[in-house]
Amino acid sequence: MGTPRTINEYLDQLRAALRGADPALVQDALYDAEEHLRAELYERPGRDEASMLEQVVESYGAPDEVAEIYRDQEIRIQRAIRPPPPPPRRSLVGRFFGVATDLHTWGALFYILLGSATGIAYFTLAVGGIALSAGLSVLIIGLPFIVLFIGSVRGLSLLEGRIVEALLGVRMPRRPPYPQRGVPLLARIGAMFTDPRTWTTLFYMVLMLPLGIAYFIVTAVLLAVALSLLGLPVAMLFGHDWLQGLYVDRTILLDWGSGPHVPGWGEVLAMFLLGAVLLFATLHLVRGIGRLHGAMAKHLLVRGATRSAS
Amino acid sequence: MIYSMARARQAGDVDEDLQLRKFHKELSSGTVSLVLLAVLGQSRQPMYGYQIAKRLEQVGEGVLAGKQSALYPVLRNLEVAGLLASEVEPSVSGPPRRYYRITRPGREALRAWTHAWNATRDSVDKVLQGEL
Repeated sequence: MGTPRTINEYLDQLRAALRGADPALVQDALYDAEEHLRAELYERPGRDEASMLEQVVESYGAPDEVAEIYRDQEIRIQRAIRPPPPPPRRSLVGRFFGVATDLHTWGALFYILLGSATGIAYFTLAVGGIALSAGLSVLIIGLPFIVLFIGSVRGLSLLEGRIVEALLGVRMPRRPPYPQRGVPLLARIGAMFTDPRTWTTLFYMVLMLPLGIAYFIVTAVLLAVALSLLGLPVAMLFGHDWLQGLYVDRTILLDWGSGPHVPGWGEVLAMFLLGAVLLFATLHLVRGIGRLHGAMAKHLLVRGATRSAS
Repeated sequence: MIYSMARARQAGDVDEDLQLRKFHKELSSGTVSLVLLAVLGQSRQPMYGYQIAKRLEQVGEGVLAGKQSALYPVLRNLEVAGLLASEVEPSVSGPPRRYYRITRPGREALRAWTHAWNATRDSVDKVLQGEL
């Protein structure tokens, strides 16, 4: 690897040096480097890129040094900022109930509640935007509209990334891809269309509607069943007059498929335990959904480190 | 014989250099955050990364003399922790810049960290000067 002569060469070398690192980290590192290099070039007009870069390698660091710094920082600061992981539990029972002390479980639960709303919003924006772009493309305002639409898709991609990182704990980029400069407008617009990430982001936004609804329904139904089973002893405990709406003919009836009958206390306690197990099983499912969705979001929203940016 | 001694000395130098670099790295991991907070705490206007790097360059020597690329991830992480806030300002003539400013929790952290730093520095100095 020789000394880079242009900013793009420097960035390519940095990308190569970061090969194999987290794609989100690569995007952030490239953004920072490009911002610094462009600022350096701008502050000292009249100097050519090659000699500027020679000096920058001294002050900012050569691509492989920068890559090493970023890898280092990532490990150290992630450890400092993230909440400490819950203590590992050995026993099977501990691991089963320990899910409730994992912050990611509750983050995922909140994400699922939120997902049904953001899913509808993303879907509406994506489908409406595509339809309007196609329809307006015959008119003169079509082009600005398309550019605006794609731009908003990219902005939302970053926003969704922040939500996913905060709630699901998957590292996502904190900076958008650096806007291209010194390229004619039409070429820049063309790059928006040839960037595969634009399309995978749109795909993600459309996908969020069915996924968001499915996550929500599964979670809501399971939680409702578990909570109502947990509430059964309370219903038994309080007099039949107090919560009238709960009872059929003023008694609790259970039906196992062999006809309804009035349950005894033993049966009610068994149902209570079943409800508790179901509740924690649901939390496991929620955490699993969170992990799966986080991995998918990363795959679709973040450009891979190995692919070239050009 | 002489040759091998020279080689041994050379190897020792490299080793020493490596140790020093490792020490630098460990020393800088906390101080860089403190210094960045302090710079932004003293500045009246928001500053962007390059500007901060150039200001620290004037201070020169020591921990901050390392590569400037180390500043950016720290800035970003301070922002994620809520101690800094930032916004991008696109400009017609120059490149777009991300301006950072300190937040209220950031100021509180700066105060606490400064206190911790002063206490640490004093006690380290005492130990180094043999006042124990």
